[in-house]
Formats: sequence, C-alpha cells, structure tokens
Amino acid sequence: MKKFFVLLFAILLTVSMFSQVPNPDRFFYATFGDADTLDPHEAYDTSSNEILYNLYDNLIRYDGERIDAFLPMLSTAVPTEDNGYIRNDGRTYVFPIRQGVKFHNGATLTPQDVEYTFKRAIIHSSPSGPISYMLIPKFLGVQDITDKAAEYVGVSWADMIDADGDAKPEYRERLINFYNDVIDPLVIVEGNEVHLNIQDPSASFLFILAHGGSWASILNKDWMIKEGNWDGKADGWWKYYYPQKEESPLFEKAMGTGPFKLVDWNKAQQRFELERFDDYWRGPAKLKTVIRQGIDEWATRRTMLERGEADIIMEIAMYMDQMEGRENEGIKVLKGLGDLTSIVLNMTWEVKADSRYIFSGRLDGQGVPPDFFTDKNVRLAFQHLINYEAIINDVLNGNGMRMATTLAKPLLGYSEEIAYPEFNLKIAENYFRRAYRGRLWDTGFKIGVLYNIGNDIRRTVAEMVRDNLARINPRFQAEVIGLQWAAYLDARNNKEMPVYALGWAADYPDPTNFINVYYSSEGYYGVAYGDSYKVFSNQPQPFFGGASLDAYINLAAKELDQDKRAEMYERIQQFVVGEAIAIPLYQPTSVRFMRDWVQNFIFNPIRPGYDFWELYKE
Amino acid sequence: MITYIVRRLLMIPLLLLAISLVVFSMGQLLGPDLLVSAYINPNVAERMTAEQLNSLKEKYGLNDPMPVRYAKWLSNTLKGDLGWSQVGKEPVLDAILNRLPYSIEIALWALFPIIGFSIWMGVKAAVKHNTFFDHFIRVFTLIGWSFPDFVFGIFILLFFYGVLGWFPPGVISVEGFQIMRSPEFTNYTGMITIDAIFNWRWDIFIDGLRHLIAPILTISYLWWAYLLRITRASMLEVMRKDYVRTARAKGVSEKNVVHKHAKRNALIPVVTVSGQFIIGLIMGVIIVETVFNRPGFGRLTANAAQTLDYSTVMGSLLFTSIIMIVGNLIVDVTYALIDPRIRLE
Repeated sequence: MKKFFVLLFAILLTVSMFSQVPNPDRFFYATFGDADTLDPHEAYDTSSNEILYNLYDNLIRYDGERIDAFLPMLSTAVPTEDNGYIRNDGRTYVFPIRQGVKFHNGATLTPQDVEYTFKRAIIHSSPSGPISYMLIPKFLGVQDITDKAAEYVGVSWADMIDADGDAKPEYRERLINFYNDVIDPLVIVEGNEVHLNIQDPSASFLFILAHGGSWASILNKDWMIKEGNWDGKADGWWKYYYPQKEESPLFEKAMGTGPFKLVDWNKAQQRFELERFDDYWRGPAKLKTVIRQGIDEWATRRTMLERGEADIIMEIAMYMDQMEGRENEGIKVLKGLGDLTSIVLNMTWEVKADSRYIFSGRLDGQGVPPDFFTDKNVRLAFQHLINYEAIINDVLNGNGMRMATTLAKPLLGYSEEIAYPEFNLKIAENYFRRAYRGRLWDTGFKIGVLYNIGNDIRRTVAEMVRDNLARINPRFQAEVIGLQWAAYLDARNNKEMPVYALGWAADYPDPTNFINVYYSSEGYYGVAYGDSYKVFSNQPQPFFGGASLDAYINLAAKELDQDKRAEMYERIQQFVVGEAIAIPLYQPTSVRFMRDWVQNFIFNPIRPGYDFWELYKE
Repeated sequence: MITYIVRRLLMIPLLLLAISLVVFSMGQLLGPDLLVSAYINPNVAERMTAEQLNSLKEKYGLNDPMPVRYAKWLSNTLKGDLGWSQVGKEPVLDAILNRLPYSIEIALWALFPIIGFSIWMGVKAAVKHNTFFDHFIRVFTLIGWSFPDFVFGIFILLFFYGVLGWFPPGVISVEGFQIMRSPEFTNYTGMITIDAIFNWRWDIFIDGLRHLIAPILTISYLWWAYLLRITRASMLEVMRKDYVRTARAKGVSEKNVVHKHAKRNALIPVVTVSGQFIIGLIMGVIIVETVFNRPGFGRLTANAAQTLDYSTVMGSLLFTSIIMIVGNLIVDVTYALIDPRIRLE
C-alpha cells in the first residue's frame, strides 16, 4: 500500500510538472516587423492596429466571431431603427455613452471625449491614413477635408494656407466659419448622447464604427490637449490637418479605455509591453503582461514556440508542414481561416492610348487597341485562361479559396449559387474566335500582363496567362512585365496597364467594401477601368429593371433591410459574372501557430490581430 | 605621426561630403516614384489615387530637383538633423545611436577571443607545420571558411537554444528587461553587459552575456577560420626568412625565435585584416543580428536599403564612413607601432 502511494505521488508530481504552463499571466507573441504609429487616426497597418485594439475601445464592437452582428461597447446600445437610435432617414446615429468608464490615467469617459474623437479624426484626415477612406466620405462625401473647405471658402487649400501651415489672414475668419457651419454639426452632444450626422444613409456605417484598433477608437480629450493635440476649438483647426506621421503627439503614446495600458515601445527591439488595466470596465484581463516582439527570422520564432517561450508566433503559411501534426509536442495549428481579401486579375477597358504595354496600340498582331477589353468576348476568354485550382493548390499550398466574384466569403450577398469561373482553354478559344467579329483570331495580338516585382504569386498568374494564350493561338503573345510598387500604382492610376493583378483587403465586412470598389464606375477599380466602363455601367440594364449597374449598386448600399440587400448583391454578382468585369483569382486563407495552452482564441477576420483581453493560458 | 593623424582627421568632412554627394546622386537615379515607396503605408498603397500619390511626393519634397534636395539634406545634416527613419520609427540619429551599442557590444566581446585565439592557434599551427595539430587546424578552418554564415547561425541557434536551452535569442530576458527599465538601473552606454557592471548588477550581466554567447560563437568560428589561416600563412612565410635562420644560428632559443623575432613581423597582415574585422563588426553582422534577433546597425541599414528609406541609408552611410576612416587610421597607426620601419607621413 505504501509503495502504491509513493508511486501515485510520483506520477502526480510528474503529471503536474508536465502540465504546468510557464508564466501563466504573461503572454509572449513573436511577430514580424513593428508598428507604424500609435495614432489611431493614422494607423493603417495590422501591426499598429493590433496594439491599438488592446489599448482603446470603440462605441460598438463585433460580436465574437460574427461579422454581421454588433455588441455595445462605450455606447450602451447599438443603434437600430427599432430602438430609435437611427434617425433622420438613416442620417443620424445616436450613441448613449456608458457611465463610469475609466481611461488609463483614471479620468472618466464623457460624451465630450467621443465628440472630440470624431472631430479630430475629420480634421486630421491624412491621405496616408484610414480616415480619408473610412470616416470622411461618410460624414462629408469627400475624401479630404480640404476639398470641402476649398468649396466653402471658394479658393484652393494651397491658396488659403501659408508655408507654416497657418491660415492666411484674409481666410482665417472663413475657415473658422467653415468649422462652425460644416464640421461642428457633424458630431453633437445632447445630454449623455452623442449624435453622429452623416451625409447619406449608409448601411456600412456601423461596420466602420465597430472596427477595432483604428479610426473609431475613442480618445481622451483633456489628455490629448495636454499632450499638444488640437484644442477642440474652431480657431486654428487647420494647423492640425495632415501632420507628418511622426509629428503627431499620439505617434508613440496612448491613452485609451482599453483592457491594457501601454508600458513601453522599444523601437530598436521592435518590442511592445502592455500591462493589464485593472479598472477596465468589462473586468480585468486574465493576462497581466503582454509582450509583442518583432522577430523577423522564421527559424527563431519557430524555436521559441517549440521551447514554449513564445505563446503565439506570426505564421508563414508556406511553413505549415513544419508545424502540423505536432499536437503531442503542445503545438496547435489552426488553418483554413478565411481572410476578407480578394485577389483579382483586372482588365482596363480604356487603356491610355500611348501606353507602352499595348505596344502598337492597334489590332495588327503587334499590339492591342486601347479599348481591347470593351469586347465582352475578350474578357470572357481571359476568364477561362486561368487555372484557378493550380494557383490555390500549387502556388498557395492550399491557402486560398475559389471566388465567383470579387465579394469575399462570407459577406452579406455571398452565395454558393453563383458559379466559379472555369479554367477551360477550349471555351476560351471559342470566345477568342468570336472576338472582334472573328478578326482577332486571324490577326493575333500582343499585350503586356503586369505584376508588381516581389509578388511571385502574381508573376505566376501573369506567366500562366502568357503560356495559355500561346497554347490557344501562337499569334496571341503576352509579355510578362514586372514593375516596382510605386511605378505599378502609377501605371494603374494612369490607366497604362491593360491586364494586371491586384488585391483588396476589407476595411469593414460589408459588401460595399468589395462591390462598390470593383464594379461601380466611381469605385477604386471602376475608375481605373476607364471612361468606356463608366459609359457601360451607367447604361440602363433590363437585368436591373431598367436601372444601370451604378444606380443599382448605389441603391443596394443605401438599403437598410439586410435581406433585401443580400438579394440585391446576389443579383449584381450574377450580372458581373456574365459580363466578366473582373477576374477573381482567389480569396487567401490564413493559419495560426500557437501553444496548446493558449485558450479562448476567437477568429474574426476583421480583427486586426489578437484580443489579449479574451486570451488566457491554461 | 601626430601631424599625419590630424591631417587624416581633417580630411573626414571632405570625404563625407564627397561620399554623400555620390550616394545621394545614385539615389536620385531611382526617381520619385520609387523613393516615395518608403512613405506609402502598404495598406493604403493599393487604393491611393494619382493625386494622393503626388501629394505624398510633394510633401516629402521628392519632386524637387536633385540639387535642391541635396542642399536641403546637407543643411539639415549640418544642424544635426538627419531626417526621419521610416524603418527605425524615430529620428535617424536616434535610430542609429539606439542600435549602435548592440553592435559595439558584440564587437567588444568577440574581439579578444577571435583575435587572441586566431593568433595563438595560427602561430602554433605554423610552428608545428605538417603535424597532426596543423592538419587539424587546416580542416577546422576549411570547414569554418566554407560554412554559409546563415546556416551556421541557425545551427548554433537550434542546438544551443532549441536543444539545450542555454543561449536564447534576443538581448535580455523579459525579467532582465523589466529591471533595466526600472529607476534602479541606469543605462550609461546602451551596452547591457557594460551597464550591468556599472550598476553592479551581476544578474543582468550574466543574463546579457547568456544572450551574447551564441552570436559571438557564430561570428567567432567564421572569423577564426579566416584570421587563423592568415596568421598561419604569414607565420610560415616569416619562419623561412633569413633573419629567423640567423637568429636560430646564433643560438637563440626556439621560444624567443618564434615570439620575439617571427611573430611580431608575421602580425602585420593580421593587423590589416583585424582592422577590417573590427570595422565590419561595428557596422553590424546582419545575419547574426537577424538569426539571434539582436537589433543592430547592420540590420537597420539593410532594412532601410530594402525599403528605400533614403534618410536612414544616408545617415547610416555617414556613420559607416566615419567608422571606416577612423578604423583605417587606427590600423595605420598600429602598423607603425608594431613595425618601427613604417613611418607615417
């Protein structure tokens, strides 16, 4: 009996030794690279946003892993038409502000903090940050506050402002009036409520506000002013427009209401240290300390995970085979997590006439005419040239999903009913034979297929197009051309590239973020397709009951009934697939590598990173 | 010699001016389209309009003519403002000064074992020419010389950290870092082990040293191979000289022949190579800094070059030039000290 107890004790001791989690209240995340800035109105990279996500709170947030449902956060209610917090035909959103919430410096949250936050965002609007893409278009219908100011004052921004960024004396009063008449009414405090007044009804506005760790993070007004930020007054607001990133007093400081406080940002070591905020309104996090460090070398990160010194490491999907099947070593791999991103082969409907990538610029076998892709048969033929499965399986090692249109799964309107584009050279040949009333087949063509240097996946797609064209008809020549990133963007913006691969990552999980971007002639890609596309997308279509594609997209964006919206987006997709307006290549999927003691990881594709309030070790 | 040193030091500003002009001009060949890459947020990049891209170029003066840009850069540099480091996320000067101590710390710790061991073993191998010891050293150096530094670094990391758990990557443990950041610890030099001594914190010293051993071991083996071969070859050549034979004929003991007559002369090429080695160490060993996750001057410069962060590249270049010029000057002076026949004029 005595021996039995000794043996039992030894077994229990051994088990307890092996099951012990090292540093249970300290979390080490080995990532890649460093944050860009801690100013929520400037940060637009996941590395910065991930830190901000844990330092700040929004008015509302996404509900766990759902991207179509919200929970209240610093607001005590999510505005809906039913609860009366969406008013004025969808142009006013009302947020009752939660009482007793503390900032990290002990100050109490007030509606004035929320008011200051949104006004500062509007004033700050820098083209290199997210505000000009997210909030300003909703509030003012422009991308840049200076466009609106110029319209109000009647002269350009450059003429109003001197070299030091101050208003010229003759325009000072008018700029103050502009603030009072235009900016001030956008955000109003009434008692404990904050009213946000947007230009047009927008089904996506709440999605934008729920996005954590960025443009909608709530700031502390008094602290901001003390740190040298905008003082909240009309006089002098212009001095705070578009500062250089590093000039912002928020560049390396933070004062939020979030679950963690910023302790240190060591830039040389790419290392952040966060400490639990014990007065957090949702209750303190289980983790006491979080360290996120940039460790650029994969082998170093992997070894740290294997030794248990890192709890989570930044993944590289191509190394998944090194991590899979090691559950008995305590390594957990999560895979197939769909990113809200679409990678697309774009065709420009009206290429700049002197573009070097259309060579002769004529249908003479040595080039293509600038409007080559206005012929629907050409677009459909190109759609059948791509071996989509091979890209996903061989090039991406399985880390991707097929897409029927550019709308990422599982956004509203996504439907399995819509067929994927098919890889079939015979069908492609048939379309090419019909193109240009049969002329194209006989004359042949030469075209540039472009990618940005360094992106090997896009290069492979371009090579695939080239090789398959040659296989169909030796007179079909494609030249694969790589450009440096800025030159690539310039060429795209100048409509010089006839065919090129480029992607889009969602800022908020609403179909407008893909449908408008790719298929509206006002969208980011729609504009780049050229004027011929604008003519096409504004033509009345029997498919939409006589409405044009553009008009129908705008109707869908304003529709507040989500079921009806979903139907509208399905219809739009059926139309664009038939027209082969853009060729969706794939939707990337991602993986996560972590220790098995990491608990409560909730995947939400719109989150910028890990939520350390939810995570714990056990 | 003093005149020589002063003259060389006075030439530094002129040399720096010439070097900066050449590199600045080379950068301009890339054009504003490429140079603007450093200022584009990758997330915004795919959606920037032509106007926004151009406003970014205007804001950072990338559309200005080259002489205007160079004049601006020079005038700011003379005021001590080297610009903003996009990769370092701080002013260029701070980015360099915050990383340089890590590179110097490795150089300091690696210097004596590498040079001392190389000279000792190299001399011994030459004296015991064609013995088992000599053959062993030759194989040892051949392996070291042929090993790609990246592969060797990973091997050291996997064995000493992955398997044994002795020497972790980074510069200090989490606990050590917290102590160093507390008011009870003063950072004098930015070099962890040196500051630990000044603070009389031996726990931090050991912690810092533990993180230094694997990178030093990696650098050491690769450089041992190189320096050892040079010492051995140089020593073999000197041992065949007439004056060594004469010394032996005069009945000088073998110990004195080796250490007093031969070694001193054999060290001249070793000093040249050692000078380059020290300069190279201070400028940072990118591979070692990457594998062992140590911030350093080399990694900063490499990242800046990769992302076309031109302010950082220019700042790093100035520092590199100063280190090179001063380093070479020290090598020249050391020549004269070792060999009185050499006169610096």
